[in-house]
Amino acid sequence: MALLKIKFDQKKRVKLAQGLWLMNWLSVLAGIIIFGLGLFLKIELRKRSDVMDNSESHFVPNSLIGMGVLSCVFNSLAGKICYDALDPAKYAKWKPWLKSYLAVCVLFNIALFLVALCCFLLRGSLESTLAHGLKNGMKFYRDTDTPGRCFMKKTIDMLQIEFKCCGNNGFRDWFEIQWISNRYLDFSSKEVKDRVKSNVDGRYLLDGVPFSCCNPNSPRPCIQYQLTNNSAHYSYDHQTEELNLWVRGCRAALLSYYSNLMNSMGAVVLLVWLFEVTITIGLRYLHTALEGVSNPEDPECVSEGWLLEKSVPETWKAFLESVKKLGKGNQVEAEGAEAGQSPEAG
Amino acid sequence: MAPVLPVVLPLQPRIRLAQGLWLLSWLLALVGGLTLFCSGHLLVQLRHLGTFLAPSCPFATLPQVALAASAVALGTGLVGSGASRASLDAAQYPPWRGVLGPLLVAGTAGGGGLLVLALGLALVLPGTLDTGLEEGLGTALAHYKDTEVPGRCQAKRLLDELQIKHQCCGRHGYKDWFGIQWVSSRYLDPNDQDVVDRIQSNVEGLYLIDGVPFSCCNPHSPRPCLQSQLSDPHAHPLYDPRQPNLNLWAQGCHGVLLGYLQGLASTLGNLLAVTFLLQALVLLGLRYLQTALEGLGGVIDGEGEAQGYLFPGGLKDMLKTVWLQGGVAHRPAPEEAPPEEAPPKEGPSEV
Repeated sequence: MALLKIKFDQKKRVKLAQGLWLMNWLSVLAGIIIFGLGLFLKIELRKRSDVMDNSESHFVPNSLIGMGVLSCVFNSLAGKICYDALDPAKYAKWKPWLKSYLAVCVLFNIALFLVALCCFLLRGSLESTLAHGLKNGMKFYRDTDTPGRCFMKKTIDMLQIEFKCCGNNGFRDWFEIQWISNRYLDFSSKEVKDRVKSNVDGRYLLDGVPFSCCNPNSPRPCIQYQLTNNSAHYSYDHQTEELNLWVRGCRAALLSYYSNLMNSMGAVVLLVWLFEVTITIGLRYLHTALEGVSNPEDPECVSEGWLLEKSVPETWKAFLESVKKLGKGNQVEAEGAEAGQSPEAG
Repeated sequence: MAPVLPVVLPLQPRIRLAQGLWLLSWLLALVGGLTLFCSGHLLVQLRHLGTFLAPSCPFATLPQVALAASAVALGTGLVGSGASRASLDAAQYPPWRGVLGPLLVAGTAGGGGLLVLALGLALVLPGTLDTGLEEGLGTALAHYKDTEVPGRCQAKRLLDELQIKHQCCGRHGYKDWFGIQWVSSRYLDPNDQDVVDRIQSNVEGLYLIDGVPFSCCNPHSPRPCLQSQLSDPHAHPLYDPRQPNLNLWAQGCHGVLLGYLQGLASTLGNLLAVTFLLQALVLLGLRYLQTALEGLGGVIDGEGEAQGYLFPGGLKDMLKTVWLQGGVAHRPAPEEAPPEEAPPKEGPSEV
């Protein structure tokens, strides 16, 4: 018993072929859109690769680009097939390839679904890359004289201004590293000497942050230095002050940005996947309907289209049998060769 | 009565005219859409920068008029493409016959008038930006500290965001900040001797310091930003005045904003000029096509040679007929009346 049988007369077949042709070309457009989305994500990741230690994984954008290209190729081919399906002479040259092409389409649909899942799931690896990269970036903030790292200060400043964030998890991260270069410290000053001597590594640590952490929404001019000393500033309580600096950490800000981007891309890819599955099913019906045209001289006849020739468990059994036969076929040949050899030897 | 600027249009040139007109109309629609987008962009930018322009500055009328003019140009382009397409098909042309005349009048009078007005504004208004920005920026700087005053509380945030985004500091340079009090009195300690000294040192009792807000800081500087005690060369160790000063933004916001807005206005002006040219061509072509087809009695593929013209009679004759018609009380107007009434408006704007 065939799976999901539908009767097709000539008009229905023609309508199916035309509809599929249109859907295939729309799908080519969708493939171009996915390609564009992948390219955009790749560029966004490259732009910020400095704060990700240049070690971020480009798996998601690369797979989106690949899927976009494959989708364009497969769907334009399918469009051509649907266009030719209406003409029996042209269709005859496509006939032998159609079964394997449909198998390839099914595999492509499975791959597309997996890529859509990846868009949603690869957030975790991005988080650890960001945490590691930002920590290093902040460490190199003061190395404006070291070639190869001199741009890190500018990158982190622009990042904090653009994403409205401060530090890795919060502004206190800046208290733990030396972000002022030794070149601009006056080592004859007592204050500097005290600070440097106060810790094991001999670093100049202070309770201050760079200017890029300042929040323009604050009603008072930005307080950057002596943040934990309430008496250093008039009418200031560091426990309750919220508007002075950005509160969010840059790791959380960047993660939410990239998560939103990848989630919306994943949603778009899922929609395109649904569209592609519909096209594959339609193509299968067209294939079986045209196969079922019993009398090639009478194009008006009614034929049947189905998804699978037998029901699902029977098809699976037949598939396993054909695989076993392939193995047995080799065995029979080997036995035949042995039997042939032994009478000769014996 | 000789027709004005007649051109003989047999069948083939008529078809060529219609096809060329179709292309030109789509080009006009495209350029009209582009101008629409550009004037919309300018309008949005002006909305963001509204606090830094004096309210009396008339610059905001330019994008509004340009928006209307480009919308009419877009409509003209679409109508022109429809009409020229229809003129090639005998079945589609009759509904256009009655509509084309009034549409041409509306397009020339309305569209042409608006475009000329917009072009004029694009030439004149950028000159008013200078004084408008001067006044607006001065007010914004003076109100930087008024974060508690209702109606002015946004000035600090907007000015900080402006200086960060456009990479500028102060009106003409960072020293503008030395001349105003930008720290709110609420955060000044009245018991601090330094504060009292500063307030008493000037006539108006302002707390003036040689420091700038954080938004003037330049991230490209290799050393952490120096914001305070900028006029004292010994306040900061190892400060080398001979090195190019990357510490703060070097430009003043007045110059930066003036360049930015004038650039946008000049782009808009260029686009408006191109739209005007294209619209004039399309309207002329449509008029010739219309009069040629009228000469054939509305039959499209008639092999006869029809004459296309701008106006049926000379300018003097037309004015005389119009004056006579106006002078004698409400006689039923003949067929030629609509194109004849148009000339006093069409004539000057057609040039």
